Amino acid sequence: MVITFPHMGMMYIPVKALFDELGVDIIVPAKINKQTLETGQRHCPEMACLPLKILMGNYIESIKRGADTIVLSGSCGPCRFGYYGVVQGEILKDLGYNIDIIILDPPSEGTGEFLRRLKKVTGNSSIYRSLKAVKKAFRVSNELEGLLQLVLRQRPRATNKVSIDQIMNRFENRIAASKGADEILACIYDTRARLERVETDRNIKPLKIGLVGEIYTLIEPYVNLEAEKRLGNMGAEVHREMTVDSWVKYHLAPDIKHRRRHNRILKKAEDYLHLCIGGHAWETVAHSLNYAREGMDGIIQILPFGCMPEIVAESILPTLAKDEDIPLMTLVVDELTGEAGYQTRLEAFVDLLELRRSSVSDESGKTLSWY
Amino acid sequence: MNVGIPRALLYFDYFPLWQTFLSLAGFEITISPPTNKDILNKGVSLCVDDACLPVKLFHGHTADLADKVDVIFIPRLISISPGEYICPKFIGLPEMIKNSVKGLPPLIIFDYNLHKDLKGEKIAFGRLGTELGVGGRAIDNAYKEAKRRQLIYRGILESGQNPLSILYPKERWDEKLGTKGTIGVIGHPYLLYDRYISMDIIRKILDNGYNVKVPANVSHSTIEKRLENMPKNLFWSYGKRILGSGMDWLADDRIHGIIFVDSFGCGIDSFVGELLHRYNIRGRRLPYTTITLDEHTGRAGFDTRLEAFLDMMEWAG
Ligand code: SF4
Ligand code: SF4
Repeated sequence: MVITFPHMGMMYIPVKALFDELGVDIIVPAKINKQTLETGQRHCPEMACLPLKILMGNYIESIKRGADTIVLSGSCGPCRFGYYGVVQGEILKDLGYNIDIIILDPPSEGTGEFLRRLKKVTGNSSIYRSLKAVKKAFRVSNELEGLLQLVLRQRPRATNKVSIDQIMNRFENRIAASKGADEILACIYDTRARLERVETDRNIKPLKIGLVGEIYTLIEPYVNLEAEKRLGNMGAEVHREMTVDSWVKYHLAPDIKHRRRHNRILKKAEDYLHLCIGGHAWETVAHSLNYAREGMDGIIQILPFGCMPEIVAESILPTLAKDEDIPLMTLVVDELTGEAGYQTRLEAFVDLLELRRSSVSDESGKTLSWY
Repeated sequence: MNVGIPRALLYFDYFPLWQTFLSLAGFEITISPPTNKDILNKGVSLCVDDACLPVKLFHGHTADLADKVDVIFIPRLISISPGEYICPKFIGLPEMIKNSVKGLPPLIIFDYNLHKDLKGEKIAFGRLGTELGVGGRAIDNAYKEAKRRQLIYRGILESGQNPLSILYPKERWDEKLGTKGTIGVIGHPYLLYDRYISMDIIRKILDNGYNVKVPANVSHSTIEKRLENMPKNLFWSYGKRILGSGMDWLADDRIHGIIFVDSFGCGIDSFVGELLHRYNIRGRRLPYTTITLDEHTGRAGFDTRLEAFLDMMEWAG
């Protein structure tokens, strides 16, 4: 059995740690590029959501490199994600690939079934070894998150932005060559130290922008056309609550503190939305409110074309932004999104925020408003 | 008090239940008129661009009622069957309306959730009664009668009758039996039964000498049986109905062709449509086409698509 799994930002790192520790053979999915998308697009229904197409491209690439089993997480509605595995399975079957797809629905949908499927993945590992592996993977996920947050903080302040890219490229190359959680952790610590040493301008007070939207789109830079990097290079500090680590902490690891905070944020938004409608639309609305109250300068929502829950959030956000008097921009991405237009929109938004900030600090009050 | 009901989305499946309940509870009811150009335009301009056509239409119908009624009834159909959902947009519908349509009278939001079990229905109507200021026996009786009529409607449809013959009883629908064969027309009720938006597809097919079947004509148990072997439970009620009826037709020699009518940007249709299309190619290879509707669909282009398909049916004999 050779396992592969979806590529989503740097999520492959904790997943790799987990499988390495379990002693399972894996094919780490290749970084997403134009080719990945084209392959996926060719074999998926046109109207499928963008994440499905890209994952499909990923899988086909990994299968060609020798994978015979795909592991992915699922859910039982209401959004499409929960049915990805089935549709992908049928497509692969028609392509003539004989692949085992293991869908790990969250334990809340039935613990017995979850364990049974998990067992398929962990194979002969003892319970003790499995638990230890899981624990280590959580640790990697947590430390990695810290590293990524550090990138977000350093980028707008760094005098030479390219140095950050260099450090992070090197990081990923080193991860590719390492095996097991300990080596990965060492890599993370070392990279952290390098990032901390990057020369920064201490006088800068960067604009703060909160990112919200569909989880895959937010986490995978290829899909959001590296929004974080672009904004950071323009000198804005990006905040993003939606991370792999927070998902893990909420759904898999019993992190009570995290869960409480999460629920508290959701609850605060109840005037706008008070229930889960699928995907992460509730988080999109709640995080937006939270960003506004935390004094961010602006909010950007990013969603893939046709994303059902985010469309609901998209209709709610303008009211919220108006009530809280915070600028908001919604970006819809699909396979045709052009880089130039995208960059222009981001720049225009940042300009607006800067203008707004200077006019507010002019003591003239809120003369310049988005509306 | 006059309660407005938008003639959109699942109104087409649930009007006996909602209408009977509200009128027996003592309210006057106004239903928005069948979709017309003005309603469509209103919907398109009010709703966020990225939404699907049926949700835009719901916005249009709601806006149309704005100055005609005292309150507007907005269903929030979270789930109509245990363990299943309809679509994320159905759950967030009241929020979409509140934030996108201004100047509305008070909204009566009807939360309906059977995700856990069927008891949710009675609870939902009890709550609705309380919100409307009616309680006790009156509500129980209204609910019972509404439920009875809903079941009758279901039964009529499952017996194979064309839903349009109930919605438009003055026209002839079923009598003139087609001689050329039967076409299964797949799609959400709010597309197929909305004659404006579906370009009157059912009428056109009948006029061309074919009979029509729609997913509502297939019984619940047949659908469950057809989907038994899916690798994972399909958790969208209408996705199930669409895929299950399609699979049933693929195995039924009395059906000679399938037209899949979907709306642009519908996440659920894109998935079940893909599966059905693949099953057809692997198996019987019935004449099959997909017609996608959005607000820009032109009548001429639509007719050409339909004619081309009907020609194909003739050749397939
Ligand atoms: S949340 Fe959006 S992108 Fe994710 S499965 Fe649902 S529709 Fe697709
Ligand atoms: S099921 Fe499809 S057509 Fe219906 S509301 Fe949802 S996305 Fe729109």
